[in-house]
Amino acid sequence: MRKIIQGLSLLLFSAFFVLATYKLPNWLPADIYLRLDPLLGMNAVFAAREIIGRALWSLVTLGATLTIGRFFCAYVCPMGASIDFLDFLFFRKKKRWGLKTGTSLRRLKYFLLVIFIVAALTGLSLAFLMDPMSLLTRFYTFFIYPLALTLINLLLDLLRPLFEALGWVAVSHQHYFQSVYYMTAITLLIFGGIIFLNRLVPRFWCRYLCPLGALLSLISPLGVFKRRVNEDCNECLKCQKTCPMGAISEDPRKTRLSECIQCRTCAHVCPQNAVTFPVSFSLGGEYSKVDFSRRGFMYSLAGGLTVGFLATQSPFSLLRSKHQIIRPPGAIPETEFLRTCIRCGECMKSCLTNTLQPLLWESGFSGLWTPKMEPRLAPCEQNCYVCGKVCPTQAIRSLSLEEKTHAKVGTAILRKEMCLVWAQNKICLICAEICPYHAIVFRPVEGYRRPVVIASKCNGCGYCEHRCPLNGESAIVVVPNGEIRLKEGSYIKEAKKLELEFRPDPGDDKFILEESGSKVEEKKGKSTLPTEKPQPKKPKGFL
Amino acid sequence: MTRRKFLKTAAAGVALGLVGRPSFSFVKEEYDLAVISGEPAAATRKALEAIGGISRFVKKGQRVVLKPNMSFARTPDLSATTHPLVVATVAQVCMEAGAQQVLVLDHTLHRAEICLERTGIRDACKSISGVHVLALQERTFFREVKVPKGKDLESVEVVKEILDGYILINIPVAKSHSATGVSLGMKGLMGLVWDRESFHSRFNINQAIADLGTVIKPQLTILDATRALVSGGPGGPGEVKKPNLIIAGTDPVAVDSYGVSIVPWYGQNFKGRQVEHLLAAYQKGLGKIDIDQLKVFREKA
Repeated sequence: MRKIIQGLSLLLFSAFFVLATYKLPNWLPADIYLRLDPLLGMNAVFAAREIIGRALWSLVTLGATLTIGRFFCAYVCPMGASIDFLDFLFFRKKKRWGLKTGTSLRRLKYFLLVIFIVAALTGLSLAFLMDPMSLLTRFYTFFIYPLALTLINLLLDLLRPLFEALGWVAVSHQHYFQSVYYMTAITLLIFGGIIFLNRLVPRFWCRYLCPLGALLSLISPLGVFKRRVNEDCNECLKCQKTCPMGAISEDPRKTRLSECIQCRTCAHVCPQNAVTFPVSFSLGGEYSKVDFSRRGFMYSLAGGLTVGFLATQSPFSLLRSKHQIIRPPGAIPETEFLRTCIRCGECMKSCLTNTLQPLLWESGFSGLWTPKMEPRLAPCEQNCYVCGKVCPTQAIRSLSLEEKTHAKVGTAILRKEMCLVWAQNKICLICAEICPYHAIVFRPVEGYRRPVVIASKCNGCGYCEHRCPLNGESAIVVVPNGEIRLKEGSYIKEAKKLELEFRPDPGDDKFILEESGSKVEEKKGKSTLPTEKPQPKKPKGFL
Repeated sequence: MTRRKFLKTAAAGVALGLVGRPSFSFVKEEYDLAVISGEPAAATRKALEAIGGISRFVKKGQRVVLKPNMSFARTPDLSATTHPLVVATVAQVCMEAGAQQVLVLDHTLHRAEICLERTGIRDACKSISGVHVLALQERTFFREVKVPKGKDLESVEVVKEILDGYILINIPVAKSHSATGVSLGMKGLMGLVWDRESFHSRFNINQAIADLGTVIKPQLTILDATRALVSGGPGGPGEVKKPNLIIAGTDPVAVDSYGVSIVPWYGQNFKGRQVEHLLAAYQKGLGKIDIDQLKVFREKA
């Protein structure tokens, strides 16, 4: 029963993950698992020093834990489910190296929790390092998702001759766009390490390291369901040996309430049927106490402050040094962005074109795993605005398409010494051809029509940088200069104030089809035809 | 499938073919071009009849590639892509003529799914069975072909189907182009090429287009000039004029050359000879370029 619920939860998590992509319906909260995570919520709220609407969802988890206990880890947590599943695959038959159940390693997770919360208070978002939801979403984004695409495409390639022979046109021409990411290997190593720790004891991560588990365990002894052992117990210690959390003490009648995740494995294995989980309102004595030491608390306090200081007061951060990172459209101002972003990678997964990539050290420790645009790899698609939609802390604001269009991320600059037209007099006009905003025009210079960027029309989408036919670096690059970062308020108004003008494809006016099929009618009403303004100089003739 | 069942099915198929309505369309092969004004769907149908009926090009059981311009994720009103009704009408007519299947394909510049969605072409063709709308963005769907008559281009990777005996019907949209002046049928064929960038960077694009024309020869070109993007092309947004014309013909240079003459581009009138890639194609012997020497069938749909 528990395994079914746990499996379904993992499936649901995966389903939401898959759905987080272009065309995500507005009503569907694809980031719901991340929103439900109280540690991520606290982290973002403390670091940003304001209430974040979507983080309030985590109160549901806190409330449920207060009433029921630490059931989350056994039934809901997709990380727990992954650990259990992979443990079953790899370590089921292995003899574990083992650890005493009473080990003081248990305290580690509380120390980590304190470090993360203190770091958040200093304005450093750090919990992402070890928060299970963030960690697993990252692992899915940077490893599972690209791997799945590769495998599916491989399969399609292998079966293509068969599909062609059968005349299945659509599937024989099917090929999924392969997303690629920086930091795939690091992410895999971290996740692999977590799984490998199960070689010591089952759920090593959940017992000793998981800071979310630590947070939930602090309030779980208040829950109503508690393990009780009746007098039939013959002290065979089977329950103590099988408990995946090591929550049963040397005396099998006693339970470490904060560790118990109510998986009821003990009740199932008990040969005497002596274990039950009745409703009980008592607080279970000494074993409900949290395993913690004052000295450890002080150390972790100091640790949190130190990390916070080191990471935020550094010359590497974008705020202080040369700023060449392009943030996604709708990203709030950099200071707030760094504090609010929980590095889950959901934006990078959902990104239609794969332009969003994680940072490593480009902006110091405080920028680790935050999203940037990589226009050389791919541009920002003007009809897509999904990254804000799926951001669980709204570090990237959820904007309408029109607002997003005005959220200028940077400006393209032309490097004339590299440009084929400027430097070699070739007829290359790809950047102008591809620019969705008409921000690149031609001016006759020395007898040739040369491309020039009109900064007030460029919103930094990066199509030009992406398509520039040079090998290696592009002759036209997007720089953050001119980016609009707003914490609140309208990007359209701001763009107007700055006298910027983006005339994109009025994309949402779709054609309406009649039942008969091939008949199409244009939507009547507002005309979407762009009105041509006199441009500086019209190109004369063809060359 | 048993042998009996196979024979039955085959017999039924043959019978159906015999009973099926024979085509009585007037063959007007003496005309070089059919220029029909009117609404997209009606004008397209009329143009196909005027040029000699689709049966002149598509025989029963043949497979057809339609090459519209759907390279940009633009709605049809912006005139950067072929009108979905024109594409759907041609596809429908091909199926009516007994085509085995019709592939509507293009190597898109923007991401495939957005192009398919925004251009309206996928939706327009959805209900016609046997018609598949595909945006190809993977090299595995392309194959190399030598260009023996090429001046710049020696070989080029093009969509496989073109080399596999499919009938090719080019359905470009009329638009201006920042690099080649106009983008009509000849330029539109670049949408069948894998490495489009090299046309811009390695080769003289105008010569390369003409070279490409020596290996990719559409049996029929249907220029969608129901709207024309006369500035701001190829992606738009720009000024859209409404010539309301469908121009069909077997000579790709003639169709384009006529297309150049129907509207002023960038505010000026031009002739086909002034468009470098058309001139190069003409010099390669790919077709006629002077429109006053063409026999043109004009009518209203």
